[in-house]
Amino acid sequence: MKWLNLFKVNIKREVILLKRYLPNTISMILTFYIIFLGMFFGIQVVGDPGSAEMNTQYVIVNYIFWYLSMAVMAGIGWTVQNEVTLGTLEQIYMSPLGAWRIFLARIISSTVVEMITMTIMLFVSMLTAGTWLNIDIIAILPILILMIVSMLGVSFMIAGAAVIFKQIGSFLQISQFIFAGLTFVPLSTAPFLEFAPIVKGVDMVRQIMIFDYSWTDFTVVDYSSLILNAILYFALGIFVFFRCERVAMEKGVLGQH
Amino acid sequence: MENVIEIQNVKKSYRKKGAKEKVEAVKGVSLTVKKGEIVGLLGPNGAGKTTLIKMMCGLLIPNEGTILINGINIRQKRLQAMEHISVVLEGNRNLYWRLTVKENLEYFAGNRGHSKKQIQEKMEHLIDRFNLREKENEMVNALSRGMQQKVAVAVALIANTDVIFLDEPTLGLDLETSYEIRTLLKEIVEEEQKTIIISTHDMPVVQEVCERVVIVNHGNIVADDRVENLLQLFESKAYLFTLNATLTKQQISFLETHFVTSISQNDVGQTLLEVNIQQSEDFYRIIDLLAKEQIPIEKIDRTTVDFEEVFMKIVKGGYSHEMAKSV
Ligand SMILES: Nc1ncnc2c1ncn2[C@@H]1O[C@H](COP(=O)(O)OP(=O)(O)OP(=O)(O)O)[C@@H](O)[C@H]1O
Ligand SMILES: [Mg+2]
Repeated sequence: MKWLNLFKVNIKREVILLKRYLPNTISMILTFYIIFLGMFFGIQVVGDPGSAEMNTQYVIVNYIFWYLSMAVMAGIGWTVQNEVTLGTLEQIYMSPLGAWRIFLARIISSTVVEMITMTIMLFVSMLTAGTWLNIDIIAILPILILMIVSMLGVSFMIAGAAVIFKQIGSFLQISQFIFAGLTFVPLSTAPFLEFAPIVKGVDMVRQIMIFDYSWTDFTVVDYSSLILNAILYFALGIFVFFRCERVAMEKGVLGQH
Repeated sequence: MENVIEIQNVKKSYRKKGAKEKVEAVKGVSLTVKKGEIVGLLGPNGAGKTTLIKMMCGLLIPNEGTILINGINIRQKRLQAMEHISVVLEGNRNLYWRLTVKENLEYFAGNRGHSKKQIQEKMEHLIDRFNLREKENEMVNALSRGMQQKVAVAVALIANTDVIFLDEPTLGLDLETSYEIRTLLKEIVEEEQKTIIISTHDMPVVQEVCERVVIVNHGNIVADDRVENLLQLFESKAYLFTLNATLTKQQISFLETHFVTSISQNDVGQTLLEVNIQQSEDFYRIIDLLAKEQIPIEKIDRTTVDFEEVFMKIVKGGYSHEMAKSV
């Protein structure tokens, strides 16, 4: 019950701030769309016309997941940095429910918002490109959820780093390229990336959306790898986060001004 | 009465940025606070007040020592201890500037697990009591510093904890707002059985709100007593004699070797003697002396010490904890 109240207020806060920063949100989405248009026309102009359609589909899927991974994984880093600047981080730490629950609620509510944005962008991109991807909800949703769980783990690692180091803005900028690598590079070219977060998931979603796989086309090994990846990264994330907050409280850098 | 806060031999040092040496901010403090006590935490800048408060509210882990809140060891059961504590930290860093007054109150209460319904009544009450009704739907960044501070205190109160820490609640506020906050604190104290620890440089806060004062200096407690005891301790000794005469050198040196602490002239040619009287015999002796020398006494005032002076004397004058105990 107490958790529920905590979740409620954090969702409400997300919605309020989203409304208050609406121009910001809209311009971000527009930027994103314009970059997509650039890539799309790039493919039409310089690419091999025979594979143009498939390339476009690759771009859409990769790009959408890149957006999601940035929003989910780096988002909390920005949030913590913001809390430090505002000075509210210490108040977050006064909650008897634990800061991690508050951050979890924040990540989840922003993830929900980002998923909605992402879905809209997906359809807008498909309409623009005049290509239709296989949106098989039953196959995609479980994979997506498992991917998000592993993303949450990475979020918590980044949040932990932000609690100790505060100004991690430049790291977050660089992390965008790392996330781009994780979403753009196919697993077949770099099999070892199966152990990295989200790569396996994005790979499976690509198979579904571009090559019309259904959920039965994947093996138990595929799903196991995905589940293991999610559990491992989430557990690691929470562990790293707890270590980081402890270090911050010992060094006296929690919300330092 | 039960001890709500019990800290024993707590030490904290910080590593200075870039340097190897450590700053010992708190050097072995022990303190117990009973339920319902209002304690003023005083000390010059850098004395370790904020450090002490942050350790007591679980935001900073001490190097050594134990801290119990309602008997709960804050190190072992941090979250459980948090149920009993709220804090307003120094400066204006306790609120979301892009949320309104009400949104802030609801948000922070929600983070503690309280539902909107549970806090509704209390929130309305606090908004009225803190004179925030007109501003309840304004964003915090549009409020004055004093208003923001009131909201921050309201956030701490709505948590409905047994213990509230306030780190310099009137810092940087004008006289009027600081008076308002002081009054509110007094009312809260009368209304609710809360244990409140207030760190402050604001002497009226100490004199009007606190019952007990703990003075820290260089990371140690140097005095811990009831406010009126500390006032008395210094008050009883100080008198100001106004004399209608100019004293000779001999008279001055004689007086100075005895009980007089300072001699000065005012602009109408009178001599002002500040006298510290330890025993009542001293009083007769100085009167006798002035009579013998035929120095006319215009008047004798008992200098009223305010807490500011008491504080300065304790911090500057090498006054120790043990001295206070022996009085
Ligand atoms: N995070 C920190 N890192 C390093 N040194 C610190 C830190 N916080 C405080 N200090 C040092 O510890 C000492 C005690 O500081 P503290 O803030 O507890 O004092 P204070 O009594 O609250 O002072 P003020 O009245 O100025 O608020 C000071 O010398 C300060 O410079
Ligand atoms: Mg301080």
